[in-house]
Amino acid sequence: MANFQPDILRGLSDEEAARFMALGVPTSLPSGHTLFRLGAEADRAYLVLRGRIALTLPIQLRGVEEDVLVEEKMPGETVGWSGLVPPHRFTLNATAPIASELVGFSRAAVLDHFTAHPGVGHTVTRNLATVIGHRLQVFQTMWLREMQRAVDHRYA
Amino acid sequence: MVMFATILIMSLLAVAVCAVAFGAATRGEAPRPGIQPERRLVLEPPRFFVSPAAAKAAEAPGVPVEMLLSEIERHVRLEQAAAEAYLDLPTRDSLHSRTESPLFH
Repeated sequence: MANFQPDILRGLSDEEAARFMALGVPTSLPSGHTLFRLGAEADRAYLVLRGRIALTLPIQLRGVEEDVLVEEKMPGETVGWSGLVPPHRFTLNATAPIASELVGFSRAAVLDHFTAHPGVGHTVTRNLATVIGHRLQVFQTMWLREMQRAVDHRYA
Repeated sequence: MVMFATILIMSLLAVAVCAVAFGAATRGEAPRPGIQPERRLVLEPPRFFVSPAAAKAAEAPGVPVEMLLSEIERHVRLEQAAAEAYLDLPTRDSLHSRTESPLFH
């Protein structure tokens, strides 16, 4: 494992973290390949080990749909938490702009592990809530800033 | 008298034919109870992070799409950084702080 503390494993002992990581399935993505697409069923979450993952959303430019980068996930960061959170549908596109390595955690394996180790489940879930909460706060702020500009533009 | 009767009968016959034809043409259009016409949900294309300035820029002729995409992505990065700064120290001023986004200059 790379020399960093993954965001979802904060607060776990080395042994607990190693047991959790053992649930994962290594995944290699060549440069330019897609990890998942917006709207697809999500049955697993990923941890970036090497490289990076670009999260994009579609935008219409002159009637043509283009993908706009909205966030990049670096080593140690979780991507695709929709795999663990209902309604289990990805809400962004994820691609690897460079060759990347990840570990995929299936929902079934994670939930079984949480049942067997409630303490680990509590810590990982709290970490996941932090990741999700941060995304929510950032995008809420971005939305409010855009809304303010739209209001200024409309009623100036 | 015979001519008048002939014209009258022909006129009545023409009216009757027109009435039958009209009835046949409109019978199929009457809404049948219990069957609702199919309602189609028309969604507008997604417009994430498209401010009025960005929309105007996208319509600008001669500007390559790659440049527009680059400007939009720079805008998103700057906005994300501004949002992160706001979350670090939330104030009314930092919430609406201005950036160097190319979409507003």
